[in-house]
Amino acid sequence: MDRKTILMDYIKNEIMRNRNARLAEDEDLLGTGILDSLAILQMVAFIDEQFGIEVPDQDVVYENFNSVQALTEYLKQYPG
Amino acid sequence: MRYLLSHAVSEWAERTPDNLAIRFSGQSLTYQELELKSNSLAHTLLENGLQRGDRVGIFMNKGVESAIAIYGILKAGGAYVPLDPFAPASRVAFVIRDCGIQQLISKDAKLGALKDVLAEGTGLKIILGVSHDEELGLPTIQWEEIYRFPTNPLHLNLTEQDLAYILYTSGSTGVPKGIMHTHRSGLSFAEWAAATYNLTNQDRLSNHAPLHFDLSTLDFFAGAIAGACTVVIPEALTKFPANLARLIQDERITVWYSVPFALIQLMQRGNLAAHDLSSLRWILFAGEVFPTKHLRALMQMFPNVRFSNLYGPTETNVCTYYHVDELPEDTDETIPIGKACENIEDLVVDLDDKPVSFGEVGELLIRGGVVMKGYWGQAEKTAAGFFRRLQFDYFEDVFYRTGDLVQLDEQGYYRYLGRKDRQIKTRGYRVELDEIEVALLSHAGVDEAAVYPIPDGNGSNLIEAAIIAKEGLNLEEADLVEHIGKRLPSYAIPVRIEILITFPRTSTGKINRRELQALAVARSESQP
Repeated sequence: MDRKTILMDYIKNEIMRNRNARLAEDEDLLGTGILDSLAILQMVAFIDEQFGIEVPDQDVVYENFNSVQALTEYLKQYPG
Repeated sequence: MRYLLSHAVSEWAERTPDNLAIRFSGQSLTYQELELKSNSLAHTLLENGLQRGDRVGIFMNKGVESAIAIYGILKAGGAYVPLDPFAPASRVAFVIRDCGIQQLISKDAKLGALKDVLAEGTGLKIILGVSHDEELGLPTIQWEEIYRFPTNPLHLNLTEQDLAYILYTSGSTGVPKGIMHTHRSGLSFAEWAAATYNLTNQDRLSNHAPLHFDLSTLDFFAGAIAGACTVVIPEALTKFPANLARLIQDERITVWYSVPFALIQLMQRGNLAAHDLSSLRWILFAGEVFPTKHLRALMQMFPNVRFSNLYGPTETNVCTYYHVDELPEDTDETIPIGKACENIEDLVVDLDDKPVSFGEVGELLIRGGVVMKGYWGQAEKTAAGFFRRLQFDYFEDVFYRTGDLVQLDEQGYYRYLGRKDRQIKTRGYRVELDEIEVALLSHAGVDEAAVYPIPDGNGSNLIEAAIIAKEGLNLEEADLVEHIGKRLPSYAIPVRIEILITFPRTSTGKINRRELQALAVARSESQP
């Protein structure tokens, strides 16, 4: 599975707690309230665990986390 | 003469019409623009049947429209009711029904959420600020249409005793209750804050808290009294410490106000060294106890900034304050909540409502202009919330019962000891849950701690706790038990201490102890 799918599944299952939730790649995760501060920290921990990528604090910013698309784009700098 | 919260905006619209009143994500409103646009909104509301004292909901993500909505409603003689834009639809609908909101102000971005709210049944008559949408089944008026209403000021017969806003908090039973504030109670607080923190029209205040959290009233109303600019922070950015640091730098924030948690995050993950935060002159915090070790670290990072701890339940705005000048190096004892604000009378009483002697523990009672009018639609709860002291046989002084236990220290500052109702019985002993949290926090490896009771089914309680360890530290439950065992009696040691990565939080950023407790109860039920 590619990173995008893994992240989408994680958000649906673990954060929205709804396997069948509708979630678009470009969905505004913050403006809709899907991600709160707790969920962001969980995501950071998940990215570390799942992909072995430690996102540095200065990169944990709105621009990189506002959608699954933005996050996947950001993660591209770390080879898979 | 300033006797309505909106008067401050009108005053500065005359004095400094081109000064910025509101900043939001690159957009701005001058005092003149805020004045005229909120006048138009007030005309719109009146045209659509608003009567003096009517409640008007605000349901949207933050924006410059938040300020227009607040002042437009107040100028029309209504009371604004901020609805948490991220709350479940059923809760939003409950608040709308509970205080009988008929007109709601929103934005197109909320149309989806609005439909979910309406499906719960609301009694709403009209929605302002959104485009027409058949599925809403209600008349709407878009913002552009609102701005075409007259901009002239309104001359209504309003007094400082009129209802200005209602803030809903979750009651101890879980049913939200609406705390009613008048123009007077809002102004009493905002004028105190503007004077105490020497706010001027050169200041740029942060608005970090959501509108439904009472911290926001300082940001908007004390800011307007001073003719300052309030920088409204988008909800999305409040979740990212690195974004916040950049915002403080770029917006040249001078006065910051938030819960301690936001500041701790900012300090630990905000990459502060890479930013120029020299515009800051005051950091104000409220809402929770600021763990001393974190506060000390923060103060060391900002040697030229002054720090102030503001205390008060939503029912009293803020009622005590403490300027943190210096923290002793050798103790992590929590800082005081300080002394009563000017124009406030404080009284500490025992269980029989008799004043305690100096230095004894008791419940803090508060009297003065800052105190709420009461709880919306809950006469009994309101009556129980007040203590009446008869003076001269014919005159009554009315105090609000904070439900908080305090003690005066030798310097004459109040120390907060916990909630009266956070005192529980376990195995027959009376235990202060907050005291156990302080003991856990005194461990060098503990970042945050929460302690909660688990009913044991026999009328008593077991105590459980959860902590967040310092990053990268391998803490064991046994280390913690050993540590607090030196500080607390054995019956106060939690039967279980969970070590978590993060805590669930309420929409206002406080640790959600109720959810931690519910999770623990569910776990104990699933493993008998």
